[in-house]
Amino acid sequence: MNSKSETDEASRGSEASSSKTSAPDNTEEESTSGLCSNTVTDHTQDIMKRAAAKQLIERYFYQLLDGCGKPNCDNKYCASSGEARNLSPNEAAAEAIKLFYKEARLCDTLPNKVPRTESSPCHSSSSTTCNTSSAKDKEDNKEKEEAPESNPTSSKESTSKEMEPETSHNVTHQEEPKTRSYNSKNQMLLRLINNNYGAPLTEESMYQLCEDCLQTKVRQPLIKALGEAFTTPATLARSFACKVVENNEAIPGKSSDKESKAMCLSSDPDKDVDSVTGPELDVASCRRAFQYLAKVPSENYSSALVTALKTLADNMLIDLRITKKLLMDDAVNCFVIAFEVPDLGCSDYLEIALPALCHAAEHLSVKGQAKLARIWAQHCKDSLRHILETLQQLITLRVISTNYTRSFQVQDDEVVTCATKFMKIVYYANMLAGSMESNSLREEPIVINNQQDPLENVLGHLYPPTSMKGSKHAQPDDPLAIELDIHVLDARKPYLPFEEFYNEPLSDTIEMDIDFGNFKTEISKGKKFAFLKYPFILTVATKSLGLYYENRIRMYSERRVSLLHAVVGAAPPMPFLRLKVRRSHIIDDALVGLEMVAMERALDLKKQLVVEFEGEQGVDEGGVSKEFFQLIVEEIFNPDYGMFTQQPDSLTVWFNMTSFETEAQFTLIGIVLGLAIYNNVILAVNFPMVVYRKLMGKKGSFEDLADWNPTLYNGLKDMLEYDGSDLEEAYYQTFRICYQDVFGNAIFHDLKEDGDNIFVTQENKKEFVELYSNFLLNDSVDTQFRAFRRGFLMVTDESPLAVLFRPEEVEMLVCGSRNFDFNELEKSTEYDGGYTSDSQTIKDFWSIVHSLSLDDKRKLLQFTTGSDRVPVGGLSHLKLVIARNGPDSDRLPTAHTCFNVLLLPEYETKDKLQDRLMKAINYSKGFGML
Amino acid sequence: MAATRRLQKELNDIRQSGLKSFRDIQVDESNILTWQGLIVPDNSPYNKGAFRIEINFPAEYPFKPPKISFKTKIYHPNIDEKGQVCLPIISAENWKPATKTDQVIQALVALVNDPEPEHPLRAELAEEFLKDRKKFTKNAEEFTKKHSEKRPSD
Repeated sequence: MNSKSETDEASRGSEASSSKTSAPDNTEEESTSGLCSNTVTDHTQDIMKRAAAKQLIERYFYQLLDGCGKPNCDNKYCASSGEARNLSPNEAAAEAIKLFYKEARLCDTLPNKVPRTESSPCHSSSSTTCNTSSAKDKEDNKEKEEAPESNPTSSKESTSKEMEPETSHNVTHQEEPKTRSYNSKNQMLLRLINNNYGAPLTEESMYQLCEDCLQTKVRQPLIKALGEAFTTPATLARSFACKVVENNEAIPGKSSDKESKAMCLSSDPDKDVDSVTGPELDVASCRRAFQYLAKVPSENYSSALVTALKTLADNMLIDLRITKKLLMDDAVNCFVIAFEVPDLGCSDYLEIALPALCHAAEHLSVKGQAKLARIWAQHCKDSLRHILETLQQLITLRVISTNYTRSFQVQDDEVVTCATKFMKIVYYANMLAGSMESNSLREEPIVINNQQDPLENVLGHLYPPTSMKGSKHAQPDDPLAIELDIHVLDARKPYLPFEEFYNEPLSDTIEMDIDFGNFKTEISKGKKFAFLKYPFILTVATKSLGLYYENRIRMYSERRVSLLHAVVGAAPPMPFLRLKVRRSHIIDDALVGLEMVAMERALDLKKQLVVEFEGEQGVDEGGVSKEFFQLIVEEIFNPDYGMFTQQPDSLTVWFNMTSFETEAQFTLIGIVLGLAIYNNVILAVNFPMVVYRKLMGKKGSFEDLADWNPTLYNGLKDMLEYDGSDLEEAYYQTFRICYQDVFGNAIFHDLKEDGDNIFVTQENKKEFVELYSNFLLNDSVDTQFRAFRRGFLMVTDESPLAVLFRPEEVEMLVCGSRNFDFNELEKSTEYDGGYTSDSQTIKDFWSIVHSLSLDDKRKLLQFTTGSDRVPVGGLSHLKLVIARNGPDSDRLPTAHTCFNVLLLPEYETKDKLQDRLMKAINYSKGFGML
Repeated sequence: MAATRRLQKELNDIRQSGLKSFRDIQVDESNILTWQGLIVPDNSPYNKGAFRIEINFPAEYPFKPPKISFKTKIYHPNIDEKGQVCLPIISAENWKPATKTDQVIQALVALVNDPEPEHPLRAELAEEFLKDRKKFTKNAEEFTKKHSEKRPSD
């Protein structure tokens, strides 16, 4: 039929034969799979279309008459091939029109002038394939590899090939403007068209461009193609489309590339699924295309790409913000593609393109952001880490290299804020990409009433912002989270750990007082940027500072109110929450005292706590209440006390489900825990994580058993993984389970009605595990936990605790971190009263401390700070001060626990220092005046 | 008596199987979670006596492994003075809920018959076992005669 390259034909034939459909001969079909971008486009103005058509027909005409000039041309419609009949000009004209409709093959003009390698500039704006046979073979081979399966369009391709010869030589030459006049005109026209619309990139065209660039070392075509595709959002959005869109005529130039069509079709089969739901983007294809690009040395294109990305971002910004012309889906596609771009590694990308992209994304609608997050979660899991790292790099770089002042804060820095906002999308995508739990497992909300200040209405106008109250209601959930219908509590295991979202340089730079101010005003006015609205990026230490401000402000406002009350004569002034306890009856006194407050005026719980031990002179500036908490926790969590039990495997404490204590007592424990957070005190409690999750409002489920009771968890998991059909026999387990009370008596419980007669089978084992976990973690301790949580919420319900912190972070707030790094402590310690880090006593001190056992180190911490826990952020946040307390003497070291000051006399010898220090830390308890 | 089916069934199965090496199973009717029984080893030097053991099932059985302890003193590298025994099959890491108690007991009997000095609880006995088997056997026999219970007559 023709003299086309045999291998070429063969590979195509084999690939197409399996799914050959009837040969379509109608022009419509042809035009969609047409060979040139400029033949049919919906977007082209009529005139342009007509002109383009004219040019093409002219080309066919000349080809038929004169030939392309290549000696062994294999195009049967070309005079040079010798296959075409000799035609008269009139016949040729008629034939040319026919060929135009068929979109027969066009030869390159004057190929003999073009060296083989250079002959494939692949001016992608015209989306043509290249004409060197070597390149073509390669391409075909690759195509065979990547598109082995048959698909509807490749059949079309083959039929079109049989009906009329395939064109592969229709490249228009940038470098040869002085060929025939029609050709150069054609060029101009193509450019005109492409300037308006650009040509979407395809995997195939990218591959070709990259190959050529590698072979020829000529980078212009690649740069030009990238530039043109990337600068126009509408074009980029249609790049790497998957097949559904493939046949859409609206895509200029796209369909002309038959190779690419086959490629697109060969993309992941799962793409079919999402093509139904919307994303016409073929992410896998896009990624492969960029892999080709990554093989090209980046200096060839990176600066061009950066410029293109920047322009793209600017265009999108305008489109999204002002003209609103850009479709949401298109914009989303653009972002997906833009963030698939391989690591450019040049500073321009970070400094110019990325900020612009983030800025543009800010104007993407919430729906669009949600869609972006979903696409990322579904298809781009592997890219998430790269995207996140790039964003972190951008923020870190910016924060470190910029000098922020009181008048220009990091909150005013658009680069940082936009990147932070953008990171939020990644944050949610990351959660979606990980394992999520259904959001039905929520603890019932507990409404704390009796919080109403009786004088609130009266005093409302005197004390305008009774602001703190009800601020909880003014903190709307993040709209993106609502759109995606997810909550951080539902994320059981995010794809990337949450810790990777922390940006430490940023966290250290933020002036929390200002950010907190913005956070508060943002609620009412919604203008200023506050990082507290993006808590994922802040480290726990920074966030806890925010919480500290919140709590202090609330405490002061409570103080002011009580003063006002006093002025009005309504109530005696009670600026503090004052507790007076006897050391010997600490629990009883505290519980009675707090219970009184809770019953009479729960609002008082939000005042600053001041503890007084009867018969001791210590004035509570923080230190006394620290010890108070320490002692109370020690007693309450003592298993002998009966309210909590110890889990033998995990050493965590758990509610005693057969406790005899009243609900009120659990409420009081909750209050104590809340007060500890509220008053910034670290407690030595060892709750399993599920307690914090439950406190934050998520019910316990099977996965929570992992740290609650690891052995049981493994046993149950083993059963879930057991796939033998004899599960019923092997386990012989019914829906009746057994538990033990504190006295070791076995108590039986039916998870279902008549549970003893329902065996666990392969079918219902999941249900069994769920019911079992639910019983252990929720139902069996329901009364106790509800009371406990109620107490906790009495103190913390209006604070942004739940908004700012994840359960893991709340644990850190309560218990401190568990990392005892005394080197860190040494580095951050300050000296006073004549000591320096070089003083002999200080040197001795540290060498003694480092050689202490962990137990003694804890005691030392307990002695100097009132708590043996590590504060949030590590020991360096302890702000330990060692002060000289006179020359050598027999006195023991002393400490101000409220300020973490250790008073150390300048002992003569190291031995004496060690002796005194050990005595001090081992026999200390109680407060006294110095 | 309220009990989980699994334990009840295992108890019945073991009683019916008539194991020679584990007999005289006693279960407190009020607490099926604790079993007592007599281990009757076949190998020297322990074949001169019988050893009472206690099996404690956790409430979460079979999802958590049972614990075994010797009530009779025994001169054995893998069983310490308090009667605690380290049996891999019931360690928290290796436990499979499908494992049946009779398998556990067979593993225990095998351990008693053939000590594993490589994983000792009493290092000095393990050393003696490895270096001076004669002395070990002699000591163990004497110890067994002195402390162990009488073997059932049949």
